Order: sequence, then structure tokens, then C-alpha cells
Amino acid sequence: MKVAVIQFPGSNCEHETLVAARSAGLNGEIFRWNRPAEELCDFDGYMIPGGFSYQDRLRAGAIASKEPVMETLKEEADEGKPVLGICNGFQILVESGMLPGLDGVDAALAQNVMVTKGEIVRRGFYCAWISLRHDAVAGRCSGSYLIDKGSLIDMPMAHAEGNLVTADENLIEKLNEENQIVFRYCDTGGETKNEFPVNVNGSVENIAGICNPEGNVLGMMPHPERSSFAWQLPFVDPAARRQIDTPGPGRLIFESMKRYIEVSG
Amino acid sequence: MKINLRIWLKIPDAEAATVKNTLVRRMGYGKVLTGLERERLFALEVDDAVEDPPDLARMLARELVNENKESYLASAEKLDFERGSVPVKVGLHIEDGEAETILDRLRNRLGFSMVKKVERSVIWKLKLDSDDPEKLAREIAEVLLINPHKDFYEILR
Amino acid sequence: MRIIGHLDQEVETNLRGAGLGLTVSEARSIADILRRDPTLPELFNYDTMWSEHCSYKSSRATLQEFLHTTGPNVVQGPEEDAGIVAIDDTWCVVIAHESHNHPSQILPNEGAATGIGGIVRDVNCMGAKVVATADPLRFGDPNGPDANHVRWVAEGVVDGIWQYGNALGVPVMAGDVVFDDSFDTNCLVNVVAIGVVKRDEIIKSRAPPGAGEKGYDVILIGKPTDSSGFGGVTFASEALRAEDEDANRGAIQIPDPFLKNVLFKANQDLFEMTRSEGITIGFKDLGGGGFTCASSEMGASAGYGMDLDLDLVHRAGDLPPEVIGCAETQERFLLICPPKMTPRALNIYNEDWDLPNVYEGARASMVGKMTTNGRYITRHKGRETCNVPIEHLTGGIRYQREEKPREMHHMEPAIEVPQDLSQVLLRVLASPNTSSREHVYRYYDTEVQGNTVIRPGEADAGLIAPVRGERFGIALSVDSNPFYGRISPYWAGATAVAEAMRNVASIGAVPWTMTDCLNFGNPEKPEAFWEFREAVRGLSDAAKALWLKGHQNAPVPIVSGNVSFYNESPEGTVDPSPVIACVGLIDDVGDAVTMNLKEPGNNIFLIGPRFDELGGSDYYRTVCGATGANVPQVRFDLERKMIHTTIDSIARGFVVSAHDISNGGLGATAAEMALTGKADLGIELALDRAGSSRLGTDRLIFSESSGFLLECRAGAEEDLAGLMKERGLDLMRLGAVKDAPELVMTRKDTKVVCLDLEAARKAWTGGLVEAMR
Repeated sequence: MKVAVIQFPGSNCEHETLVAARSAGLNGEIFRWNRPAEELCDFDGYMIPGGFSYQDRLRAGAIASKEPVMETLKEEADEGKPVLGICNGFQILVESGMLPGLDGVDAALAQNVMVTKGEIVRRGFYCAWISLRHDAVAGRCSGSYLIDKGSLIDMPMAHAEGNLVTADENLIEKLNEENQIVFRYCDTGGETKNEFPVNVNGSVENIAGICNPEGNVLGMMPHPERSSFAWQLPFVDPAARRQIDTPGPGRLIFESMKRYIEVSG
Repeated sequence: MKINLRIWLKIPDAEAATVKNTLVRRMGYGKVLTGLERERLFALEVDDAVEDPPDLARMLARELVNENKESYLASAEKLDFERGSVPVKVGLHIEDGEAETILDRLRNRLGFSMVKKVERSVIWKLKLDSDDPEKLAREIAEVLLINPHKDFYEILR
Repeated sequence: MRIIGHLDQEVETNLRGAGLGLTVSEARSIADILRRDPTLPELFNYDTMWSEHCSYKSSRATLQEFLHTTGPNVVQGPEEDAGIVAIDDTWCVVIAHESHNHPSQILPNEGAATGIGGIVRDVNCMGAKVVATADPLRFGDPNGPDANHVRWVAEGVVDGIWQYGNALGVPVMAGDVVFDDSFDTNCLVNVVAIGVVKRDEIIKSRAPPGAGEKGYDVILIGKPTDSSGFGGVTFASEALRAEDEDANRGAIQIPDPFLKNVLFKANQDLFEMTRSEGITIGFKDLGGGGFTCASSEMGASAGYGMDLDLDLVHRAGDLPPEVIGCAETQERFLLICPPKMTPRALNIYNEDWDLPNVYEGARASMVGKMTTNGRYITRHKGRETCNVPIEHLTGGIRYQREEKPREMHHMEPAIEVPQDLSQVLLRVLASPNTSSREHVYRYYDTEVQGNTVIRPGEADAGLIAPVRGERFGIALSVDSNPFYGRISPYWAGATAVAEAMRNVASIGAVPWTMTDCLNFGNPEKPEAFWEFREAVRGLSDAAKALWLKGHQNAPVPIVSGNVSFYNESPEGTVDPSPVIACVGLIDDVGDAVTMNLKEPGNNIFLIGPRFDELGGSDYYRTVCGATGANVPQVRFDLERKMIHTTIDSIARGFVVSAHDISNGGLGATAAEMALTGKADLGIELALDRAGSSRLGTDRLIFSESSGFLLECRAGAEEDLAGLMKERGLDLMRLGAVKDAPELVMTRKDTKVVCLDLEAARKAWTGGLVEAMR
């Protein structure tokens, strides 16, 4: 099983994403954006890592979404191969129309707005460890295939534009009906209070990650690759830190993709 | 009264270059798009009673323009664009947090209490070799320059 | 330019008219060596190379007199762009530390971003992967007469750092922010970068052996050269005057983290190619002094000459030769390699990584050849524009500056012990300099690269595990207290070293190397030069007395650093600010501890008794706005024993949380241990044992004398006491962790402080938000 971690100019999480994929038993390599796009067909799954592709020029993800490699990626996704977009990868998938994947570009990831008690308390880039609630059923989506509904997963977020907005009044209802909302920001007890610091970026309904109707494409703002080993966790018990390979909760995302490839292959 | 500050880079505009590159190399506009420039626009709603608008514009520009790398042109009310390109204004239709922050700073920290509202946008000036440049400009705005879920665009004429 | 045979006054007029900073006697000495009038480009080259920034003309003698730059672990001292120390037999840590003060005062965002951009290039060009940065920042008084401007600078600097660093993908692991009115018109923006490299894969920033004889190619890589930053190093070496602000703006460079991100990846491919083929190259970043500085230093340090064709330099527009030579356009590197490698090197940048399409006009270009004639020659439009002895150009000049102690009349304020010490502690916790730095560090991506083990806010130092599969960790901390510097530059230097070391020791890491960034006023003024020398003497004494653990009497080596003079304006000079960054090493990241309280019932111990040392303290500033006189001193033997024994007690598992005492004293230190982490545990301390019974309670709580608070693992109390006794340290049991969210302090069985943690948290987390609003 071989995955491609697609690297655009300005990506900056490709190496740790590949390390996390390998820790879950996937083989893979980093795929530079200007390689012949057809070489992408040789892979079983795809990851678009975090970073600032094209320095977020115009809009985060907008320029990368027009690269030829994205055309090929769409074709491969249409065949059911799994795609995981993390942070800037999620932004690219939204700008390309692959997520939520209903009818062209269905949503935007706007600047973070942190609201507490009706007041804007902060704006823009924010880096912190947060809790996510998995709101899809196990098996619904390639990147959370092994995760039970309602499970809580900790990992860091680090972005300036992750606030999901849409001009389509019915979109959120449709996403809920079709179980396309995969992750929501929540507190340590799993409550999705719609207020900062639980809702870390102002995203509608605390949405942190969504999948396409088929379930093979997942995009999420937080970073599972930075939570794939126990030693990466803050305030972790030093005993867990001493075991260098003890998994962290984020590894489930990569193990899920592996399982999805096994099952669908 | 509205004070407009049109601001552009004196140094090479990497963002404009990237957008042009994408339109030409990736989206097939190489034959018709002959030039592309970018400006930032601040439209500031101020008290009608302001005595010396040009002087106020200069003072506001000191706060909003980075003169090491930018130049600007101030005007009251009207915006005039030079011929030869289609100016496409792109702004947010959702709440613009940065504009709110700027307004708050101008009013509450820097003492510009006469400023009532701040609108931020980007003007893309497209040089197009076409019989109907405006139609083409609309197309380019819709396929690349905006995400309709947060942005609007307007052809300024 | 006409110099020979002309009067001093005429030469002076000509030099200033051309925009040169050289003195008349400097210009004459150049003409003497050349035995002719120098050309304008030659003068600009000398102007650049002989500036304070490039030549350290005022500081070099003092640095050589005091600083210890060698040691058993040193692989490379301060001679190149970054220092290198060994981690083990295979891996090394690379570190560099610089200031970007003047540009950041004028254009905070670009100035600070360029600072980060420059320092990461210094580390990368040694062949290293850049794994962390730190940024010690000093701003003016956020509530003083320049409040608006101070806040504008502070916000712009923080924005510049995160916008650049986050995009580049290097985590910010440490840093500090201090507000002090001496920085009202002169902010300090210091930047530190560290990297890791295998010992046998270090790349030198000098021409390789044989380069001259075999006519190696000189290749310029990166952004097209423009006029940005022309005159930048001269600017960095002159005091700021308000009327010059506009003129100085032209001296500021425009950074581009996106291009840098792509360049780093291309560099990685270049390094891998040269390693796999066994080719030795020279590689250096272009920073202050631009193309002239990088090229001449690479040639001169290997004893070769260079013949460079400026027409081959890729550039934005038609530029005169002195601008091509001396502009400080960002995101550029210089490569010296065998001609047979040139086509493949160019291919990596121009084709594989597609630089021309990533940034308009960016590419790699062959621009000249190495020679053996010892001359630095540049050509432009068919003319020879520069032909000078290369070692004369890079040799610089030395000045022996005068020093004179600054007259100071610091007094201790007369204050009564306040009635409500709980309220005072709340105010100290909310003060701009003691409050939580969370507001700032949430802007920084502290997690990128996925190597982070301990992040800002969890302990006194950050910790990363930078090499996957290895267990060692690298800790990083910075320190300098300008208020101590105001009272005593000597003790400011010594305490900065001691505290930076205590910070890494608090997580269990061994202080392994340091860098210094020395920020002072105009060295031509004897008082400022005295402050500089005192601070260097202090930090050097401390580095020696707090020796490298396991190597008795071997100073902790200072392998890299920077001197920034002229941090002054007509309104005054900055408080003496010797900023120290300390790199710590821990064998296994699993052994590291954080500062947050762990278990109810665990005993809390103090090492380091409290003294009447509140000069420069947050307490004095908060209650009476005074500086005071009794600055904390470093008791060298006690300090070394405390640092080394804290490390050992963590390594042996006796200690589960540790926090060193600094700003805000014992009171703030205890509060911070309760306020980090889940913050559901409290702490109760009896102060009677913390110091002399004659000390007032306020002094026990707020003295900034050095020390540690240690939370002992239940059952390990006797082991800990035994270890301390063996090392001659007095272990003072002050109290225990409480299963209730409150902070209680008693003296003679009377409660003197009782704080609800929620109220304390509000004060502590709100202080910096308020100062930067």
C-alpha cells in the first residue's frame, strides 16, 4: 500500500505527515507538484499536507487548486481512492470543489474569528491543542474508518483560516443529513459549545472536518500527524513519553486510511 | 463623506505575479490576458463636517499605508481608473474582522473619531485583449478571483 | 572618487555626498593600499565590509578578551555563520543568534520577519535542518507617553514573526517579551535559530580547498537582486534619529517566506547530491552586506581571489554596480562548486524546483570564478569596477573605544510591607512582564515539524526531539533582564547566563552551549562602551563559573552571537541588554519534566534562599514604580550546585515538576506552577524557611534571587534530601500540593496570601492581552 504526500511550493508538513503515515503501516513518498501528474495513478491513497501553498496568495488553497496535479487527483478520487487533506490540504480540497463535493465550490474557509459572550476576542492565527468529537459513524469515511461515533481525539490546530462558511442556506442541513460532518471542535467532555475557546475559529456548527458524499475524501483543519506519537502530547505522563513508539490519538486517522485501502482494494 | 485610499506596491507584487501566472499557465488565459495589476482599496466613511479632507486623507494614509513598499492615491467620493484595464473590485460579503479591527484602532487608539466605517477590498486591474473585456473580466473573477461563499466582486466603471 | 591630494574637508563632502559612512581617514587608508583613488563601487564595498555590523570594529577586542568559545563539545566556534556543538558522536546542534532592532523600529512587520529569515538562513547554510527558533523581544512602556507607537511596534513585530516563521515551517520554541520605557524609541528584536546536522555532513561557508587552483564556479541562488536594503548595514550601525526615519526606510529588506521554503527544499537536494558524490562545496547565505560580503568572505577565508561578472547576476531592473554588490535583497545564497557540478546545481533550482515560476525573476546563475591571485575583482558592462586585495577588504579595522563607568545613583525605595499581599501578588501576576505570554505564543506555530515535546507555557524552556528514531532532546531558552542591566550591566550579564541555564535545567536538560546577542548604545560614548564591557565580563564570568556539567572548570561555550550597538535615539539609550540563549541537552526526552503541579500531597521544596534582592524586581515596579538598587547577584558556587543538582534529581526521577525563580519571585513562581496544565491543583507554602527571619514577608515572596521550586515524587523525599546534602545544598520544605484550586502562603502560622486560582488565572492571562491591545 503506497500513498503520495502531495507537496506544493509552500507546503511545510509533508515530512511529518509521511512519518505518521509510515507509523500506521503505510508506505509512501513525497510527490512534488511539478512531477508528471500521471505518475500519481500508481498510488493507492493521497494526502495533501499542511503549510502555506503559494503563501496563501489570493486565498488559502486557491492557487494550488488549479495545478494540473489536482485534475489527476480528482480522477483518482472519483475511482474511490482515499484522499486526506490536512489544514492547508483541506483548504485546497474546498477550493477545488472536492469538498464537500456536492456542486462545484460549496463553501469557503474564512479567517478565524474567536467569539466569547458575543464579543470578538481574537482573530487570525491560533495554535493550540484542542479536542475533536468524531461525529460520523465508523466506516463512513476513509480517514476515520476505524473511529467510533462520539469518540474524542486530541490534536493541535495551527491555522489562520479555518472558519467554514457557506452562502448556501441548505448546505449544513445537507451535510448533517448525509453524515458528511466528520469532526467537530469540542471541550474535554465532548460538548460542542459554540463559543471560543471550544469553537476555536468561529466555524459554523463547530465543524473541524468534513468528507465528500462518497466518504473517500476527508478534509480537516487540525493536524493528526502532530498527534501520532504519545511523546508529542502536552502534559503527557513521562512514562508514556519514554516509549518512543507509543501511538498518539492522531495515528487513528492514518490507520483508518490504511484499513480503508485494505477494505476497498 | 467617503475617503478612498488606493494603495499599490512599489516593490514587485508577488501575489499579482502568482495570480497572473496561474491564469496564463494553468487556466488558458495566456492569449487574452496581457497584464494584471493589484491594488488595495480602503473606503473610509467619515463625518461630513470634516474641514480639510485632503489633510485627513494624508493622516489616515500614514496609518494605513506602508510607504517603504507602497504608494497611494487619495480621493474623495469618486474612484477614477485609468483606461486600458478592467478594474475588478473583490471584497468580503461576510463580516470583515480586519476592517473592524482597523476601525477600532483608528477611532479608539489613534483618535480618528470622525471615521465611521472602514471597507477593505482588492482591485484587480485586468488588461484584456478581447471584444468584450468586461464579460471576460467577470468570467475570470468567478473562476479564480473570488470564492462566492465569502467574497463578492464588482466591475468598477 | 578623488581622495589623494585633496583636503579632508573635500573628501568628507565627497563621501557624504555619495551616501557613504566611511570616515576620511578610513578612505585615505584605502587609497594608500590601492596606491590610487578608489572607484565608487570599491568605496561602497569597503563601507559595507568595514561597518560595525560586518567587522565588529568596536567590539572584537572585548569579545576576544572575555568570551570562552571553545570546549570539549565545540565543533565550530563563532568563525562562520553559525556555531556548532556535538550532541553525540553522530549529531550536532547548530545555533545562530542575531538582532534586527533598527529595521523593526521603523517597519516592525518586515523588520522582524527579515530577522527570522536571516537567522534561519545562517543555520541552513551549514547544511543543517532548521528545527526551532526563539525570539527575545523588548518593547517600550505600553502605558507610557509613546504607548500608541509602542503598541504599533509590538503588534507589528509579533505579526512579522508569525507570518514569516509559520509559513516557513519552523516552530517557535522559546522567547520572551519585556516592556521597559528605555525601549520606547528603540525596540529590540533578537532572533535565535537552531538546527541539527550530522557531524560529517557539515557544509562550510568558505571556498573549498583547491577552489582557486581549479577555477571553481561561483553561483548566486535565489531572489533577483534589487536595491532593497542598500545601505542596510551602515544603517544598523548608526543611532536612530526621528527625522531620518523616512530616509532609513529605504534601507529595509522585504522578506519572502514562501520563496525561502522552496529554497530550503532545493538546498536539501543540493546537499544530498554533493554528499552522495563526495564533492566539497562552499555555501553561504547572503545577509548583511549582501553579495559583496558573502562572496569576499567566502574567498578570503580560504585564501583565494574572485573574479565576478555583475552582469551575470540575475536582478530586477538595471542597477549600478555598487547596488548589485551591497544591496541586501533577501532569500539569496552563494555556492562555490567544481565546474562539472554547475549544470546539475543550476538544474536543481531552475528546473526541479522551478524557481522562475515560484517567484518572478528568481533563479540560480553562474556569476564568476575563483582565482588564486588574492584579488577581489568585479566587472560591470565591460569595465572593471573593483580590484582590491581581498584580505584587506574583509580584514576590517579595529577601534579601541574608551570606557568610563556610568554615574548611577540607584536607591532602594522606602516601602512598608503592604497589608494585602494577595492583592499585590494579583497585580504582579497581571503586570506586563510577569503575566502569561500566551497571548503572543498562540500566534506562533509551536507544533510544526511534529517534534515538539514541551512547548511554550508548559515549562521554563521548550524541548524538541528533532531527529525521529533518536531519543535525545534539545531544550532552548532565552533570558536577559533590562532592569537589572540598568542597575548593573555586570550582574545583568551574569544573571542572564544563570537564568537561561536554570531554565533548561528546570526541565532536566544540561546547559550545553550558549549564544549572546549584545544590545547596547553608541560605543563611541565611553559610558555605553563601559556598559558593554561590564556585561560581557559578567556573562563570561558566569559561563566559566557555571561550568559544563561533567567537565569541571570548562566554561559553557559561547559559540555564536552578535553585537548590536547604536540602540539609542535623542530620547535616550536602551538599558544594557546582554541577551543569552541557552541550548540544553537531555539524553531521553522521556525524562523531561514540566512545571505544572502533578499530584495532591506531593511535597514542594525550595533550593536557593531568598535574599534582599529586589532591585529591578517586578514587585518594586508594581507597588512603587521604582527600580531600586539591590540587583540579584549570582552566587557562582551555589548557582552551579543548584543547576547541576536539579538536573540530576530530575534524571533520577525524584522531581516531577520544577520551576526556576525569576520575575515576580517565589510568589509568581508558585502561582505559575498551579496555573499551567489543568490548573485544578493548588499549593500551600510556609515561608518561614525561605530566607532569613529578618526579611519582610513581601521580600520573601517577591525577591528575585535565584532558586528553584521542586515538586518531589511521593516517597522520594529522602532520596532527594540525601542528594542535596551530598552536594552541600540546603533543601527547604515549604509545603505541598493541595487538592483545591487555591494558592496559600503562611508566615508564622498566619495566612499572608490566599488566592483563588480562578482570580489568579484571570489576572495572569489578561496582563499581556491588555499591554498589547
